[in-house]
Amino acid sequence: MSDVAFYDFVRGPFLKFALFVFFVGIAYRFFRVIFLGMPPDYAKPKGSPPFMALKKIIIKPTMGWTFNEIFSRRAINFIGGFLFHLGFLGLTFFVPAHALLWKEITGIPFPTLPNIVSDVLAYAALGSLIALTIHRALNPVLKLLTGKDEYFANLLIALIIFTGLLATRWAGGGSYIWLVSLHLFLANLLIIYIPFSRLSHFVYYFLSVGFMGWNAGKRGVSF
Amino acid sequence: MESLYHIYKRRGYTRRDFLTSAIAISTALGLPSSLLPKVVKALEVKPKPVVIWLEFQDCAGCTESFIRSTSILPTDVLLDYLSLEYHETLMSPSGFYAEESKREAMEKYRGKYVLVVEGSVSPKDKGVYCTVAGKSNVDLLREAVEGAGLIVAVGSCASWGGIPHAYPNPTGALSVSEVLKGKQVVNIPGCPPIGDVMVSVIANYVITGKAPELDSMGRPKTFYGQTIHDRCYRRPFYNAGRFANSLDDEGAKKGYCLYKLGCKGPITRNACATIRWNGGLSFPIQSGHPCFGCSEPDFWDRGMLYTPLSVVSGRFGIREALVGVAVGTAVGVGVAYMNKKSRGGK
Repeated sequence: MSDVAFYDFVRGPFLKFALFVFFVGIAYRFFRVIFLGMPPDYAKPKGSPPFMALKKIIIKPTMGWTFNEIFSRRAINFIGGFLFHLGFLGLTFFVPAHALLWKEITGIPFPTLPNIVSDVLAYAALGSLIALTIHRALNPVLKLLTGKDEYFANLLIALIIFTGLLATRWAGGGSYIWLVSLHLFLANLLIIYIPFSRLSHFVYYFLSVGFMGWNAGKRGVSF
Repeated sequence: MESLYHIYKRRGYTRRDFLTSAIAISTALGLPSSLLPKVVKALEVKPKPVVIWLEFQDCAGCTESFIRSTSILPTDVLLDYLSLEYHETLMSPSGFYAEESKREAMEKYRGKYVLVVEGSVSPKDKGVYCTVAGKSNVDLLREAVEGAGLIVAVGSCASWGGIPHAYPNPTGALSVSEVLKGKQVVNIPGCPPIGDVMVSVIANYVITGKAPELDSMGRPKTFYGQTIHDRCYRRPFYNAGRFANSLDDEGAKKGYCLYKLGCKGPITRNACATIRWNGGLSFPIQSGHPCFGCSEPDFWDRGMLYTPLSVVSGRFGIREALVGVAVGTAVGVGVAYMNKKSRGGK
């Protein structure tokens, strides 16, 4: 198979299939949980559930950033997590090639980053991902919470960022097409994998955190 | 038979002109400067190459490009230098005499001549879609290949099947290398390919007696080893994230990158950005038009001439996403309902 034929396959039928599976999967998991329903609760809420839900969604990502006990003990999680998410999301949406793809899907034009900024984001994301994975493997508490799912997801994302960097920065000439095709192929696997793994938190994070906030509001407690 | 140097002298060019051409040939082929004396010697004494040029399903565009190769040899020298024994577009005889001269040349220069094939080959229905002098194209090709010293497929049609091979491919067009499985074929793709590249490959055969170093798809590495994107003078704009949004907006006037307008430079291997066309004058991107990717296989079927490379080919927009969500919702609700029932919920 020639590299261009493989390239055409991964950016054509395979990408379409992956995106379709992604949307099916996200909707399927959402409604499967929602329609199970909740037991009726006749107690009058002590606080304001919607307000607390919103507060939790907005405040939670910043909660660890005060130099208190939490931060001093979990600095790797906070700094690494912040850098990784900033880098990964920045790359996903604002690298010129990606931005044009999102414009095609959503119809909204996305701004584009210059190469130097994408590079900084990519190295930051890749470095923090490696640090977080090592931290996961060694930390006694995180070890208990970690399964194959996390390691697989981390490896897949690391490979995607790495092949993207290889293709745009270090590949010479003809090998570019193989590398960019490999990058696309792995990204397609990730798109298929997201809805059925813990990576789906990128959609469900807001729901679960909102739900926790809602409950806190119902009981009139702070978080 | 004359060598290149004799032709230069006969046509009134100086030795300096000859040496300039020798340097241009070795530079184009990427040969080290230490080899220059050998290149000059070869072009001084080795007889001019005998070329038999077959045309099958083609438009003669590759020939047009070939005779305008002016960076390396002046056109009048080129047409004198190549002993074109048979070329349907360029030769004056026709009919019986033309075929006879081809037969004679094939016998006389057996094992030495360069066979250039332009256009795709069509073996379907016993080769009825392309015949010359009552013989099918496949038979003509096999007959000419037997005594060839070097087989060169010029243009995207001969290299990959090209436009005749595009969907629905009514004539069952194939590339030369697909028909001649197991034989070494030098592919010089492009629609048309750069004339200087064709001349350099033939000159390389005269100098070294063999084909240049080829990549996995049979293309000379010297000319097809890098993408247009790698060598594009607009690359700094790509790196800075500056793109033209239409063919004539402010960005286009400033020479910004044409990626958004569907440039296929990143996936196209060719020497346009370095050798350029018409004696090094310009190339499509320099004239403000995105690259089509004409030297890559199936470029015509890929279409998307003005669509950015990174966009899903075959469209995936809001409508398709909503269909996915609807399917997922139906399945999710169904499964949730069944789960609820099996657990005795309401």
